[in-house]
Amino acid sequence: MRNALRLVDCDQRAVSLGLTRDLTLADARARIPSLLAIEAEPEADAALLGRLAAFCDRFTPLVALDLPHGLMLDITGCAHLFGGEAELQAAIGRWMRAGGLSHRAAIAGTPEAAHALSRYGGGGVVPPGEEEARLRPLPVAALELAPETVIALSRAGLRTLADLAERPSFTLSARFGEDLATRLRRTLGHEDARITPLRPPPACVVERHFAEPMLDSEGLAEVVARLIAEAARVLELRGEGGRAFEVSFFRSDGAVRRLTVETGRPSRDAAAILRLWRERIDTLADPLDPGFGFDAVRLAVPICEPLGETQASLDRRAVEDEAVADLVDRLVTRFGRDRVLRFVAQDTHHPVRAAKAMSAAMPAAMSAALPASISAWPTPEPDEPPTRPLQLFEPPQPVEALAEVPDGPPIRFRWRRLIHDVARAEGPERIAPEWWRDGSCEPMRDYYRVEDAQGRRFWLFRVGFHEPGQDPPRWFLHGLFA
Amino acid sequence: MTQFARTFAEPVAATNFSFLRGASPGPNLVLTSLLLGHAGIGIADRNTLAGVVRAWSALRALREDGQPAPEKIREGGSPGEYVWMENPAFAELSLTREHIRGVAKAFKLAVGSRLVFAEGTPDIVVYPANRQGWRRLCRLLSHGNQKEGVQKGECRLVLDDLLADARDLLLILMPGRSLDGLPALLARLDDAAPGAVWLGATMHRRGDDRRRLARLKAIAAAARTPLLATNDVLYDAPEQRDLQDVLTCIREGVSIERAGRLLEVNAERHLKTPQEMTRLFRDAPEAIAETQHLFSRIEFDLKQLEYEYPDEPVPPGWNDQAWLEELVRRCGEIRYPQGVPQKVTGLLRKELDLIARLKYARYFLTIRQIVEFAQKEGILCQGRGSAANSAVCYVLGITAVDPAENDVLFERFLSTERREPPDIDVDFEHERREEVIQWIYKTYGRDRAGIAATVIRYRPRSAIRDVGKALGLTEDITARIADTQWGSWGTEIGDERVRQAGLDPTNPTVRRAVDFAVRLLGFPRHLSQHVGGFILARGRLDELVPIGKAAMAERTFIEWDRDDIDELGLMKVDVLALGMLTCIRKAFDLLREHDVADLGLADVPGGDKATYDMLCEGKSLGVFQVESRAQMNMLPRLRPREFYDLVIQVAIVRPGPIQGDMVHPYLRRRAGAEEVSYPSPSPDHGPFDELYTVLCKTKGVPLFQEQAMKLAMVAARFSDSEANGLRKAMATFRSDGTIGSYEDLMVGRMVERGYEPDFARRCFEQIKGFGSYGFPESHAASFAKLVYISSYLKCHHPAAFACALLNSQPMGFYAPAQIVREAQEYGGVEPRAIDVSFSGWDNWLERGGKPFALRLGFRQIDGFQEEWGLRIEAARADGYHDVEDLMRRAVLPGRAMRLLADADAFRSLGLDRREALWAVRRLPDDDALPLFAAAQARELGSEPAVPLPVMPLPQQIVADYQTVRLSLKGHPMGMLRPVFRRDGVLSCAELDNRPDGSWARAAGVVLVRQRPGNGKAIFITLEDETGIANILLWARQFERFRREVMSGRLLQIEGRVQKSREGVVHLMGQRVVDRTAELGSLSDTHRTEIALARADELRNPPPPRGRHPRDVRVLPKSRDFH
Repeated sequence: MRNALRLVDCDQRAVSLGLTRDLTLADARARIPSLLAIEAEPEADAALLGRLAAFCDRFTPLVALDLPHGLMLDITGCAHLFGGEAELQAAIGRWMRAGGLSHRAAIAGTPEAAHALSRYGGGGVVPPGEEEARLRPLPVAALELAPETVIALSRAGLRTLADLAERPSFTLSARFGEDLATRLRRTLGHEDARITPLRPPPACVVERHFAEPMLDSEGLAEVVARLIAEAARVLELRGEGGRAFEVSFFRSDGAVRRLTVETGRPSRDAAAILRLWRERIDTLADPLDPGFGFDAVRLAVPICEPLGETQASLDRRAVEDEAVADLVDRLVTRFGRDRVLRFVAQDTHHPVRAAKAMSAAMPAAMSAALPASISAWPTPEPDEPPTRPLQLFEPPQPVEALAEVPDGPPIRFRWRRLIHDVARAEGPERIAPEWWRDGSCEPMRDYYRVEDAQGRRFWLFRVGFHEPGQDPPRWFLHGLFA
Repeated sequence: MTQFARTFAEPVAATNFSFLRGASPGPNLVLTSLLLGHAGIGIADRNTLAGVVRAWSALRALREDGQPAPEKIREGGSPGEYVWMENPAFAELSLTREHIRGVAKAFKLAVGSRLVFAEGTPDIVVYPANRQGWRRLCRLLSHGNQKEGVQKGECRLVLDDLLADARDLLLILMPGRSLDGLPALLARLDDAAPGAVWLGATMHRRGDDRRRLARLKAIAAAARTPLLATNDVLYDAPEQRDLQDVLTCIREGVSIERAGRLLEVNAERHLKTPQEMTRLFRDAPEAIAETQHLFSRIEFDLKQLEYEYPDEPVPPGWNDQAWLEELVRRCGEIRYPQGVPQKVTGLLRKELDLIARLKYARYFLTIRQIVEFAQKEGILCQGRGSAANSAVCYVLGITAVDPAENDVLFERFLSTERREPPDIDVDFEHERREEVIQWIYKTYGRDRAGIAATVIRYRPRSAIRDVGKALGLTEDITARIADTQWGSWGTEIGDERVRQAGLDPTNPTVRRAVDFAVRLLGFPRHLSQHVGGFILARGRLDELVPIGKAAMAERTFIEWDRDDIDELGLMKVDVLALGMLTCIRKAFDLLREHDVADLGLADVPGGDKATYDMLCEGKSLGVFQVESRAQMNMLPRLRPREFYDLVIQVAIVRPGPIQGDMVHPYLRRRAGAEEVSYPSPSPDHGPFDELYTVLCKTKGVPLFQEQAMKLAMVAARFSDSEANGLRKAMATFRSDGTIGSYEDLMVGRMVERGYEPDFARRCFEQIKGFGSYGFPESHAASFAKLVYISSYLKCHHPAAFACALLNSQPMGFYAPAQIVREAQEYGGVEPRAIDVSFSGWDNWLERGGKPFALRLGFRQIDGFQEEWGLRIEAARADGYHDVEDLMRRAVLPGRAMRLLADADAFRSLGLDRREALWAVRRLPDDDALPLFAAAQARELGSEPAVPLPVMPLPQQIVADYQTVRLSLKGHPMGMLRPVFRRDGVLSCAELDNRPDGSWARAAGVVLVRQRPGNGKAIFITLEDETGIANILLWARQFERFRREVMSGRLLQIEGRVQKSREGVVHLMGQRVVDRTAELGSLSDTHRTEIALARADELRNPPPPRGRHPRDVRVLPKSRDFH
């Protein structure tokens, strides 16, 4: 069935209710209407697995992903560091439980054997040379063959690895290919192959170690400046820019102080980063305490993004944008992320909601993810007057107005105790409420652009209609044109 | 209103056939416009004419009846499968019908299309001024639909397409937001259509309306083009704005929160009163006046689409009527070798006279020609529906109900009063219908023959999906509402449904989604191709109606559906597919092949006692129409003894008779438990036996649709138009109580004429019960014919029948396992297993047994290809020596070999399933190596014999079920019997012998689960090695055991035995235990796949029968329950 939602996995309770993988969600719901289904997030799973892999670096540098749900650690020569294989396994178990994860682990002489044991054989540590004995009772499924092959084998009455092992190997390869025989040999420990470890990409890190603990804050600033310049060169070589720069000060007594600056766009402009850095130091509530001096300073760039060479456009617009971005970065560093705002156009007919103040330092990636609500400001038709005022009153100011029935523009209105005689007017522009907003019972508004005898231009709207038996309509001034 | 009335006509309105744009149905627009005091309305949908007929016929109904006709919504392909939707806007009106009729007479309707251009030219609304213009418009749209590279449902036009020939077309240019380039465009238009161009102006309260109007006025003046006032309507009333917003979101694939300026800024695009329009256009009053002028230029009316039937069938030198009469004479001699009976001669004369008067001869000749082709090709066919009322149709071989033996009512088929053209639907063998379709295309040409459209409408499921998405609900939630239902028929998306989905119906967002979905129900979503409704034209079809591309390559269909075609009185013929005809033909072929009998549809001996005996026992599995559970239960109660009983049997298990409570009275009278009486009027009012003539065939109980109407006409002396009104009223249950007034009228008249008031009231109740779902007698008779033939075959040639049935799968209610089992148990047929040495692709008969055994064919193997099967047959010669020999000689791929092995088809070569599987595994996947092939040598070396473990019987059976869906080795329940015996579970056979009212426990694999329309009970059929058990579960129990029933494949059910007088046993389930796990214990290498019968409504939900909530009181269509 195409286009059907299917169960990817079930927890134990679901399994006990008879749900299985690959069942369609509709079927599952039909059986258990109260089923709680959560959308699968393979990316999130992969990310978690990646984090776990990084974590396992502490046990051995040779960590490989065993997709989709496993990790393969080559612990050759590492186990003694943890007091032996069993202790190593126990240590991993403690970490996993502490992280709220359930897991199964096995240690064996070949990756295939460990894989099969952890998934089909209850895990544990297999002493060298005992793979075959431990693995023979396992079902053929433990070879992780194509489902079709597993079915074919079991239909032939061959259920365990022992059943396969007892058959002349060529009768198996004649039917299922050499791959099956190879896997069988590897799983039973007759043959070995190495894993391909997952290497974490080296982060951009530059550091200075001092012969003597450094106390001098001027000198320290100098060191940071040089580190920034150095990092900028590294980034340039890589064609990248940093989005965050973390400076760690290692004090001789063991304490570490870390300070971070962030930029709105990827950057490797040493001068600009240094400027931000200074802002950061200046605004520090509790200044850097050298104590007995610093042993080392490290600058790390944890977030790097590709950054090409910029080319100044002919109208210098790019440069201007860059200048604004630099300003925003500095303001943000000084006042904080939530306190520097800018207006962003919103796609709506509703005049108040058409502009929204958002954090000016919003990362580009985030704003790119919101294309539907944030859009370009509407471009007026050439030769058309502006239809929206520059200044809006929020809330709109009530006014008294005299207007032609039923939907004529105001002829005269009183705002802040001043009477304005309308000389010219255009409208109505009828804007209906956004009915889908919860709790919205806004009335419909008829907007008018008017100009009074003095040439001042106003944006007014009427709420309600001239209808017998109804409240008379009310008028509001909503904005002023420049 | 008076001052402004009829001064303005709305020239541009889009219906909901501007898919996902227009938010009101055409009929609503017409009615609203008329009531607002417009002088007329122009209906123009986006690049289509698909919606105009509805608007047009709505106006016609207003003119004739003074009230809107209810909308007919098709629910399925068979006759009677539709509901009437009443126009809700009308219910609240207090205007007299006379008044409306008068206003409607003067009201003008312009039909045309709004052309939207691919290159960005502003839209142009086009109305044909006359028939010529209509031709051009149709061809223009057809051209746009069929351009190279255009997708289905798309119409790509450029301005030059229109300008190429715009004579007789009236053009309204609808400028976009920008007014640039209008003068030049107007000049071009004026060149193409001098004096027939208007510039449309709208006042949508966009702020700059007056400024814009002034500019348009100046542009129009400069171009000497009149300015035309319009509101460019999208819906009839401002309240529809939110629905239109939702439609926009669906169309654009965005949620409402994010739709932003894709939505209209306000609700102004509704029909406005003339005075409002006049006020809005006070700066340009001439634009208002111009609307009248535009409409006065339009002479075209859809009724001018005078229709002419194709000429082909008449040989030179004959005129239509004479040739038809000649054919009737010639065919009559063949149909009645002993001479045409007196009765039939009279009928023929009468019918031919009427046909001559109405000039329908050519229509009959056309149908005759199609049927003749089919007969020549040996394709079985049979007319269904009201055509069975015609002796001419019988004589011409179109229908099979012999008028000599049955009373036919030609008036039902054709009458001078009804202006509708005759409607002949012909069923063909489902496997060979395509040949007929291709022949029609070849004979009439693609430019004159086309397939009708089917309007795909929003159903509850699709509506809630789309609306949910538009409102930003997660798919999860909408899927819950849409999916956690049993199928999706039912009346509305009620609170109950929502709660059932585990959601809170009072939650505003959910409530809103459900409300919108309800409003969206019935809206057209797109057009699709009808399965077999053909329209044939004498001239070019694309000058009659636009033709569009279908999803299938080389297929085209017209933009109108069958109801539109009906409304316009065009000729159509339904070329339908019927699986049972295929089965019957195959059975006939088998009998002929084996020299048993040479039968045709008309040669099957009638009145066969054994056949009726079989039916009386309820042994109708596999038989046409009467094989459903409900029909099977009815058979022993009705005890059919003659053909007419079958006609009744077919018609009685329907909601009409059931809800009208006519089944039990009929059965009682039939059983002699109740006296058959025919009330009479008082003598001075009419003959005492007037009802006898109407109801004598059904023992005084009205069972057929015709009888209900006839009752009103005879007993209450309803006139034709009154009867027509009653028909509509009872089909729609108008909320304003029209039905009540008919009740008073009918009961009053009957009492007046001397009937007992009580009887009169009961009659009316019964008529009311019919709704629109009574079964017409003629249709039942056509079906009954096939019921009889298939029963006869089953009774006398069980092996051939089962074989043909299996060879015609998929069709019918049951899975192959049940068909084979029935043949085995009831027909005494010996089934033989699939084997490479004996089987062919098809199932076939082998000598031996009684007198034949049924050899299963390779087609029963899931996934096996026909060509492989045919090659095995062809290359067999003296048989195959071993697997390699088979593979090489029959040139089979590895997959075919594995399927054969899995199906245990190598027994004759000395290999059981497991050994065969192991052996074929070794074979190469592709063709033999050329060298080995050339040498005819063995390719594979020998292997040491290492025996495989023996496969136990339960595993064998399960494997059979998985690969072939049936096992001749045993039944899974048989294997599990010791387990169930221990738990005190009875077998199905034992259950039948339990006394009424006793407590029992039964178990079996699930064959069918059904839920009748009202949902009060669930019917489950279980099967074990001894037979079947019928379980009835009340809704309360079902809710308790929902999970078990929905997912269990092997159920154990406890309850009380209920035995009817006729011996039908039901177990009234109280407790359900899911024992599916037992099946798993049989084999861990094969899944136990017991095929559910095709009738299972859970696995194969019936076509959605969403009904509009406004019509909740309309009776649901048969779910074959009572």
